[in-house]
Amino acid sequence: MSCDKGSAPERLATLPPGGPLKFRMRMASDPRLLSVVRSSVSELAAVWGFEDEQCRRITLAVDEALSNIIRHAYQNRCDQEIDLNLQAHSDCLEFSFLDHGEAADPSRFCAEPLDEIATGGRGTHLIRKIMDEVCYERLPEGNLLRLKKYLPGVKSKA
Amino acid sequence: MKTATREQTGTTIIDVTGDIDMGTSPGLRKTLLESLKKTPRLVVNMREVRYVDSSGIASLVEVLKEARNKEKRLVLFGLNAAVHEVLQLTRLTKFFDIRETEEEALKA
Repeated sequence: MSCDKGSAPERLATLPPGGPLKFRMRMASDPRLLSVVRSSVSELAAVWGFEDEQCRRITLAVDEALSNIIRHAYQNRCDQEIDLNLQAHSDCLEFSFLDHGEAADPSRFCAEPLDEIATGGRGTHLIRKIMDEVCYERLPEGNLLRLKKYLPGVKSKA
Repeated sequence: MKTATREQTGTTIIDVTGDIDMGTSPGLRKTLLESLKKTPRLVVNMREVRYVDSSGIASLVEVLKEARNKEKRLVLFGLNAAVHEVLQLTRLTKFFDIRETEEEALKA
């Protein structure tokens, strides 16, 4: 997924008076929608000042998070609901994913990378490798996964 | 994601176009494994692949393992920066036989 959309997107230099810039999607757990989300996330990351490589990586992490929800929480059912919230802070992008499926195994989110012949587990490895903060919570209303990526030069607060 | 198949002497070339994600990787996996049954050497043209996720990588790993089990070859070529990055992040760059061009892939 390239961030190159022809002309460079305008960088949003300052936050609006209302605080973080917010963007919300409520989507069905259908893999056909993943490309739509990738396009939006890539564009948002570029607008928020990330370079092409980081845009691609952030997009990959978000895609992997959604794929995990569809595959594991919803067992590949395509008609369930996922809420994706994005907040653009002055120093980072924060993504949160809420689903109402099976609880995730939290150990998956702190797993070490698997060896080269493993057939699974690379998605969570990629998410942890790319994002600065990864936090999973099981709430009464469902599973909440939060991912943060700080702008270059901003030290992670983790 | 779409695939097209070409034949050269002793080699099957699969041209892949589009994004490889959890929605499309099962189809790619099936195409590659079926093609591998009929050829000693499978060359995959990734020049028109814009994006690959971990499910796509897992499919390629599975095809490579099957090729090795059957003492056949799997060669990839034409990977763009995004695909290279995913292979690097998953530490698989050296696991695959990757070439720049089709000509190099056919000579590999």
